[in-house]
Amino acid sequence: MIRLIVRRLLWFIPVFFVVTGITFVTMHALPGGPFDKEKTPPAMVQQMENAFGLNRPVYEQYFIWLGNAARLNFGPSLALRGKPVAGFLLPGLAVSVQLGIMALLFAFAVGLPAGIIAAYHRGRWQDRTATLVAILGVSIPAIVLGPLLVWVFGLWLDWLPVAQWEPLTEGFWPWLSHLILPAITLGAGISAIVARLTRASLLQVLNEDYIRTAHAKGLPRQLVTMRHALRNALIPIVTYIGPLTAAVITGSLVVEQVFAIPGMGRYFVTSITSRDYPMVMAVVVIYAMVIVLANLSVDILYIFIDPRISDAE
Amino acid sequence: MRKFLWLVPILGLLLVLAAGCTAAPAPAASTGDAAPQAASGEPITVRVSTIAEPSTLDPNLAEDTYSITPIEQLFLGLTNLNNETGVPEPELAESWTVSDDGLTWTFNLRKDAVWSDGNPVTAKDVEYSVKRAVKPETASPYAYVLYLIKNAQAINQTVLPTDTYDIDTLGVKAVDDYTVQFELEAPAAYFESISSMWTLRPVPSWVIEEFGDAWTDPANIVVNGPYLLKEWKPAEQLVFEKNPTYFKKDDVQIDRVELDVISDQNTELALYESGDIDVAGDNAGSFPIEALTRIRSDATLSAELHEGPRASTTYVGFTMTKPPFDNVLVRKAFSAAIDRATMVKDVVGTGVPATQFAPKGIFGAPDPEVGIASDVEQAKAWLAEAGYPDGEGFPTVTYRYFSSTLEEALAQALQAMWKENLNVDVQLESMEFPAFLASTAATVPVEEMPEMWRLGWGADYPDENNWVYEVFHCTDSQNRPCAECTEADELAKAAGRETDSAKRIEMYRQVEEMMFGDEVRVAPYYHRGFTILAKPYIERAYPAFAPPNWDTWRVNQ
Repeated sequence: MIRLIVRRLLWFIPVFFVVTGITFVTMHALPGGPFDKEKTPPAMVQQMENAFGLNRPVYEQYFIWLGNAARLNFGPSLALRGKPVAGFLLPGLAVSVQLGIMALLFAFAVGLPAGIIAAYHRGRWQDRTATLVAILGVSIPAIVLGPLLVWVFGLWLDWLPVAQWEPLTEGFWPWLSHLILPAITLGAGISAIVARLTRASLLQVLNEDYIRTAHAKGLPRQLVTMRHALRNALIPIVTYIGPLTAAVITGSLVVEQVFAIPGMGRYFVTSITSRDYPMVMAVVVIYAMVIVLANLSVDILYIFIDPRISDAE
Repeated sequence: MRKFLWLVPILGLLLVLAAGCTAAPAPAASTGDAAPQAASGEPITVRVSTIAEPSTLDPNLAEDTYSITPIEQLFLGLTNLNNETGVPEPELAESWTVSDDGLTWTFNLRKDAVWSDGNPVTAKDVEYSVKRAVKPETASPYAYVLYLIKNAQAINQTVLPTDTYDIDTLGVKAVDDYTVQFELEAPAAYFESISSMWTLRPVPSWVIEEFGDAWTDPANIVVNGPYLLKEWKPAEQLVFEKNPTYFKKDDVQIDRVELDVISDQNTELALYESGDIDVAGDNAGSFPIEALTRIRSDATLSAELHEGPRASTTYVGFTMTKPPFDNVLVRKAFSAAIDRATMVKDVVGTGVPATQFAPKGIFGAPDPEVGIASDVEQAKAWLAEAGYPDGEGFPTVTYRYFSSTLEEALAQALQAMWKENLNVDVQLESMEFPAFLASTAATVPVEEMPEMWRLGWGADYPDENNWVYEVFHCTDSQNRPCAECTEADELAKAAGRETDSAKRIEMYRQVEEMMFGDEVRVAPYYHRGFTILAKPYIERAYPAFAPPNWDTWRVNQ
């Protein structure tokens, strides 16, 4: 397993160069620059670009960036003048990770049981209800679901805060109450996908001979499901949640906007529209790292779920 | 009602979805409608919102309203724009005089102003700030408003590191501790307005030298205004507290202001309704028309809505070097064919129809408005005179704008109005904002320019010089419409140097009439408006141009 981890982490090096190289060149090829504003005269823009070294050739800028990145200096933001990008991204990431984990918990708490029930009651009303809910869950976008939840639970019933963030240091309930609605909004679509995947995968496993054998031995149904069937049915789901986790814990612009949450997701979009090159690069590096780590965790999980899979290849 | 019906099945579904997680929703006691002013002894707190994070709190570097609003509370200007009248009034400067030739401005500073670390605020701090803003290394986006100061332009445009400059040749000098003197390139009556701007507010040199870029962090920042910066949580909140060293601290009633970053206007509205914030819409564009319609039809909200003009104008730009818009009759026809009243009422939801560039309240803005009025018959007549009767033979032209919900609605309305009133086909082209700016810059070859495009302007300082001269002068501005020099340009430049107020007003009236009535360089069609919601216990002014002064706000007990 150590070999697997080391190999995967070494893979990050070429991934890093490819991802950052392509992003760097693409970003600089986009028309418009960070200092282009409706009102700023071109001479001023030129002057500011010179001050930040944007007048150098792109490859030179890339090597300068690499040199700084090697020392973990991702530079000052161009849009948020003079502030190091890390000062925005790290607090944002901390918030997004908390929200993302809550969303995943919700997605599995709802999606797994729904999928199991649907599989066991294939073709009956339980199955159809679960499928309908799953389709709706996938097709209602966060930008609709979020405001709807705010309206119902925040304004109308007044059970939960309308929006905004409270850190855990302010107390458990303030923290949790501010997390519930955004976590549901973020997790709804995932729970639907998890439900469908669980159902499909479980249906396949339930037809296997060893399940029939287990039933024939007279084992209780729950035991067969939990110990024999579900364990194997989990493999495709685990494959799916690797990259998904990476996406969810790095934040979502829509959920952050609707709930005024200071997460990291906003920077994926705003850094590009403001041509904030250092911010874009830092966001991409963080995302690549999270993806690599998430995939690594999936590989490790495989070993535990299915002994046939090992790192020997 | 129909809107409501489709919600019913979805609500049912939501309850199912939510069941997994909302098992024990103990009522959130603290987030209710509690008024901010609690029992005696408690600090008075007001919560306001901003749609975007301040991009900086460094006065020399600020350029957007999201930065200028907090800077206004932290740093004193030489002068302040009165929130009721918009006219410059004494702030750090007690009085100021102008030499007879209009070239030397002397500001006498008050002697009781201190920095929050105890140092006195002196003329040296003003000199340091102006020099810092102009130095090319600072890369200040607003250095150009200081170009009227002697040698500022030459110093600011020095190409480093090949060329050098001597900062001591800049026309600013601390004569003694409490007198600062400016030498100007040319007489400029509007310098009084500029002296209220953030770009030249005194900054603490010793703090900047110690901490560099990090000097505005809450732990390091030293200020001289009515409020201190206590906290800055990125993308979340800035917290301000009354400054005990401010010389008029007894006039400041509100002890603590929380400025929450809320980037979605519907969320802002929801937080206002739930009582989480006391003022909404102050640091944002106007509410979207759907939200405005709801606010106006709601008895409580409509009573708390404050509306008025903002010193900002949206207009259609014409590429004057590209046929058919090289013909002034075509430009006149397109301008007259815009139904401005409908735009304001049904598309934007707030604002004032515009036919001239600068809105009322800007010094020199003509009142009543000049320019081309909306008139369908006249528009048709002009287009026919240009050789396209009823739009016959008129080529398909392009209107380019940047992607945003409001801009898209405006573009579609313009397209429909031109089709209906002139029978011409206009193609719409939307682009992401930086790409849009790059594709309509004055340097773009004329073949690649769209025939028409969207532009806007908001005041930096309340004077016509900032409008007609700095935006449209044929050589001294960006001149995006690519207009040739005419008498209007000479007059716009001369008006800036004129010292007699009455004469300036008359000159600017003529410039506006020439540029937008006779030459039609662009077609202004609306002055933007503000829509601010404030709880009934908040008593404050609603300035058209100036950033709000929290120190003048009151919370009624």
